[in-house]
Amino acid sequence: MSHELLTARLNAYAVLKNLEDLVVHDREMALFTKDWNIAIRFFVLNGPDAFVEFDSGKCRVGKGGGEKKSSVILFFHSPAHFNKMMDGKASPVPVKGFTKLRFLTKEFSVLTEKLEYYLKPNADLLADPKWVALNTRMTLTTAVWSIPELAELDPVANILSSHMGKGSISLGILPDGPKVNLTVNKDSIVPAKGEIKAPAAAMTMKDMTVANDFLNGRLDAFTAIATGDVSIRGQIPMVDTLSLMLDRIALYLS
Amino acid sequence: MDIYRFDKSQELFQRAAKVIPCGIYGHMSPAPLIPPTSYPFYAVRSKGSKFYDIDGNEFIDYMCAYGPMVLGYNHEKVDRAAAEQYGEANCVTAPSPVMVDLAEYLVDLIPGTDWAFFAKNGNDATIYALMAARAATGRKKIIMISGGYHGVSPWAQTPGHHGLIEEDYQNCIRIPWNDIAAFQKAVDENSGQIAGFIATPYHHPNFADNEFPKEGYWQTISEICKKEGIVLIADDVRCGFRLDMKGSSNYFGFTPDLICFCKAIGNGYPISALMGTEALKQVVSKIFYTGSYWFSAAPMAAALATLKELKKIDGPSIMHETGTKLLKGLEEIAKGHGYDLKTSGHPSMPYLRITDDESLMLHQDWCAECTRRGAYFTSHHNWFVSTAHTQEDLDRTFDIADDAFKALKEKYQK
Repeated sequence: MSHELLTARLNAYAVLKNLEDLVVHDREMALFTKDWNIAIRFFVLNGPDAFVEFDSGKCRVGKGGGEKKSSVILFFHSPAHFNKMMDGKASPVPVKGFTKLRFLTKEFSVLTEKLEYYLKPNADLLADPKWVALNTRMTLTTAVWSIPELAELDPVANILSSHMGKGSISLGILPDGPKVNLTVNKDSIVPAKGEIKAPAAAMTMKDMTVANDFLNGRLDAFTAIATGDVSIRGQIPMVDTLSLMLDRIALYLS
Repeated sequence: MDIYRFDKSQELFQRAAKVIPCGIYGHMSPAPLIPPTSYPFYAVRSKGSKFYDIDGNEFIDYMCAYGPMVLGYNHEKVDRAAAEQYGEANCVTAPSPVMVDLAEYLVDLIPGTDWAFFAKNGNDATIYALMAARAATGRKKIIMISGGYHGVSPWAQTPGHHGLIEEDYQNCIRIPWNDIAAFQKAVDENSGQIAGFIATPYHHPNFADNEFPKEGYWQTISEICKKEGIVLIADDVRCGFRLDMKGSSNYFGFTPDLICFCKAIGNGYPISALMGTEALKQVVSKIFYTGSYWFSAAPMAAALATLKELKKIDGPSIMHETGTKLLKGLEEIAKGHGYDLKTSGHPSMPYLRITDDESLMLHQDWCAECTRRGAYFTSHHNWFVSTAHTQEDLDRTFDIADDAFKALKEKYQK
């Protein structure tokens, strides 16, 4: 397994996924993108293949070509090339949609810059509840969508996932924060947004601040669980394994 | 029925979290107690089958300090033996004669063993057993059971946990419990490379039903080990002296090369032992292995007193009988409320699970409700019964269980 490949897959399938929430929960970006109707495909040679679709103020990010015909196809000659682009240190090779180049360099980059703003904390931003709320939502999304990729390509997560057991794990933030879930099948782990009925295990964080500290490794899990800031129920070995897998993300995404 | 509060536990934990990693770490961490806010974190007093927490709540203790307590907390004879030894000599420049007395007593007690080596924790004994197997065979690999627990050494931990490196577990082969074919396959695929096989006498993982060995399991495993020159290690740390005074291997009819003991051996005093056959005595003699407190005499005196008392009163039979009554009573109460409470493992250290909900959430709620009423039940781990648990304790426990089931029904009907 190449470190660059896994980082590229996390960038493509877990980090870009946050564009979906950005255009909903950031008012400025919601207005900015409300009339967009475009599908962009990120094709990485020997790496991930992802789409980002905008339609009537909604954004969808996923694997492969998506439902809409791609208006733009961006080619990357390697996972490392794609990762450099995500770090703002390289440019893609457009292979379709040359007429949309202005859109990519001007408008789309405004959106990705805003995404970067929400994903990179500093002391001032951490004091802003609105920023914390969206950063927490995005961290949760990144975490959950990273799990299938880690389970497949990270050697330690691969061993861990083989002992995970089957069923769904729900993760949520109180009182009315985001809810996501992971369904562990025999051969796959499927992330999804929203609540799930009768999960095998559940993890609930008391509020956005606790969730932000917890998901970003500033709050010890054992302490948080003991005090009730984070509550876990059900098949605890699943939660324990998930937690160990989540700790692997930092090895690939800085 | 009074419902306990744990305000002082939580308050003290907040202080602890500032100066102690995790606040409370390891197997005593509140994290697997679901929800932790329904459990006491700090004990201030204990006697017999009970302990009292910092909030003044009384608990009939079905965890027995996770196994060490077997005759009851603050047992007079054991404490007196320890106190007398403390009065004479404890941690001194030379060992005390009681060390020899204890080794002789154990060798007489446990069939097939010729020597005893003392340390502090079960982990000390399992590491020494692993080293002995490797020294005896000149081989690297160890076979163990998936979900089995043999302490916290890097080789014994599940891959992926923090602080481990790949090399820590690359010589460990994990196979399913009760699967002789898997054992034979592991041996065949690693011909001439297996140093030892370590397993508990019966399978008692957390969060899962406990399983006895299938008919002939240990006997077949023993035969394969003998044929292949593999050292057979019984990790009797948790079961030892609860199932059988002669060791749990005697209970299941096999003779290991090495046996690890801890927990019940000293009724709470810190001591563990590795015992083995004459054939391995020279080998272990060559391994340098020691610890600052491994020669402390008071725990040895306590262990000797514990073992003598357990033998005198036939402790395993008492615990079997008490455990059987406990399980039967709880199963009936559960049934009366429309729940199926499944019990597994030995009655002296049973694992329980309400089967009506595979996620264990229902079971977790019931255990928490019982604990909040004074019967300390965990939902993730096997329980422990001691010789100090009385009929009065059981009757009180049944009342608590009944009330907890009522609370559970009310909660879930809502």
